[in-house]
Amino acid sequence: MALVYEFIWRVLHALLHLQRTLVTWFRSHLWKWNGRLWKRAVAALLVPMALGFTNHKKIAPTTGKRVGRRFRFGADGKALEKLPLHIGLLIAEEDPRYLDIANLVVWCMAVGISYVSVYDNQGVFKRNNSRLMEEILKQQQEQLGADGSKYSVEFLSNGSNKQDHQALSCQAVVKVLSPDDGRQGIVEAAQKLCRAVEQRERAIKDIDVNVLDSLLRESKNTPDPDLLLKFGSVQSTLGFLPWHIRLTELISLPTHVNISYEDLLGALQSFASCEQRFGK
Amino acid sequence: MSWIREGELNLIERISANVLKAGPIPKHVAIIMDGNRRYARKRHVERHEGHSQGFEKLAETLRWCLQLDIREVTVYAFSIENFKRSKEEVDGLMELAKQKFTRLLDEQENLEKHGVCIRVLGDLTLLPLDLQEGIAKAVVATKTHNRCFLNVCFAYTSRHEIAGAVREMAWGVEQGMIRPSDVSEDLLSQCLYSSNSPNPDLLIRTSGEVRLSDFLLWQTSYSCLVFQSVLWPEYSFWNLCEAIIQYQLNHRSLQKAREHHRESQALQQLEADRSCVAELLQHHGNGTPVDAQSRQEALRSYTASREERVRHFLGALQHKRDTFFTDLCSPAVVA
Repeated sequence: MALVYEFIWRVLHALLHLQRTLVTWFRSHLWKWNGRLWKRAVAALLVPMALGFTNHKKIAPTTGKRVGRRFRFGADGKALEKLPLHIGLLIAEEDPRYLDIANLVVWCMAVGISYVSVYDNQGVFKRNNSRLMEEILKQQQEQLGADGSKYSVEFLSNGSNKQDHQALSCQAVVKVLSPDDGRQGIVEAAQKLCRAVEQRERAIKDIDVNVLDSLLRESKNTPDPDLLLKFGSVQSTLGFLPWHIRLTELISLPTHVNISYEDLLGALQSFASCEQRFGK
Repeated sequence: MSWIREGELNLIERISANVLKAGPIPKHVAIIMDGNRRYARKRHVERHEGHSQGFEKLAETLRWCLQLDIREVTVYAFSIENFKRSKEEVDGLMELAKQKFTRLLDEQENLEKHGVCIRVLGDLTLLPLDLQEGIAKAVVATKTHNRCFLNVCFAYTSRHEIAGAVREMAWGVEQGMIRPSDVSEDLLSQCLYSSNSPNPDLLIRTSGEVRLSDFLLWQTSYSCLVFQSVLWPEYSFWNLCEAIIQYQLNHRSLQKAREHHRESQALQQLEADRSCVAELLQHHGNGTPVDAQSRQEALRSYTASREERVRHFLGALQHKRDTFFTDLCSPAVVA
């Protein structure tokens, strides 16, 4: 009997895996194939709407596709009931594609999100930080044109607090995170507090949630992420900033490969429709 | 109204359970039982009715878990944030909890039969004293049972738990049991309320919310998260099966991610030990170069002494926690 059960289980799981793979494949390939048509249709719908929201004077001197898109981004951001202040992008897939991730980051900045964190649990992005950075700057130029320069990008990595970019008008902060910033970050804060207790600089009873929170925030200087977008079929946060995701909405997309702006917008829309109750 | 609900699965459920059991089954499932109040609103009944229906469902779910060979369940019963609710509702929930924990003592025989160990995770000092005593009695009475485990998170938030663990480690440092450099991911895990449990393999949240809401943030870093839209009092055996299928589909990739994490953790520990040894050698070596072999030897003895310190500290911590419960059970000591 046990053999029969095992056989049924195997068949069931083979089917489920197949279904999942097909869904992912369709999403990433059909977009490419059908994407132009789709994008044009969506753009046709969105651009007139976008113009309604933006200042007409601005659009007068410049024309062309690029401008239309740019206004669309900003207007989409405004059209949403609420926008995350800090978005986390969790790439839970093998072989990340830098182009797609750079696009995501640029779109996030363009709709008006102030903090973007990119994370993977193997530390791939942290090791290839400069490559990702270059790609983002390139895509920024391409997608936002000359105007993109006002979206200055600040890159933070390896826990170092390089603030040299602060002088620029900072509109978006892009961070690359790895598991070292997660549990390990809490451990480092704990060590700091223990040392303070050892030196008699701090009393044990003073250590509470607020002290730890400000210590963990100090090194990052960022609000907690309010949205975590996860790409890939693994249903887990894979060690993404455990302390900070207390109230984060977790939204999942099957893959980041060939991701489109409309996919991101859809996720932002479902975020906007969520209601938070804070324990009440 | 009891904690353990007797009952059998019907034929189709039994067959499905057996099929599921042919695959990997989560050892530890964590549940955020959300939706009691929405259920009450939907059914036009009082809020407290929704809460007690929720408790009924917990008893039923525990039975399904046993039938599916899931040995440990952790539930989010009451968050510290929930104290913000109306006084009436909070009082009602405290009353319900008191009732259930007293009831539990009447059912001791039944619990013993199934070998159910009940643990309560949270900052109990925030609760009324009579409830604290009720909880302590239940915990102490079932302490030795080891066939299955039910962890009830009460007056709990994960950040509070982590901050508490840091406080315990600081206590250890102050008492001279450990050094600040001994603080590691592993040690912090051991100082959490959940130190006696493995990390949950599967986390289920009902009623369609897609947040962790300050529940087991540290412990579920590499768990399979399943969000289901059903309201908790309407949860069914099939919902549980669906969650387990999700876990099974994720099993291999999660296993891999955990393995990767374990390796990098071990590496980090080795690095930390190395730098401590280097510092020690610099202090005592008077500038004379140290050869590789004695360096290796020093590293080995340092690691052994660190492990010994940590073991001693964890023993003291466990003793402190046990005493808290036994003291609550004997009112003479409290008075």
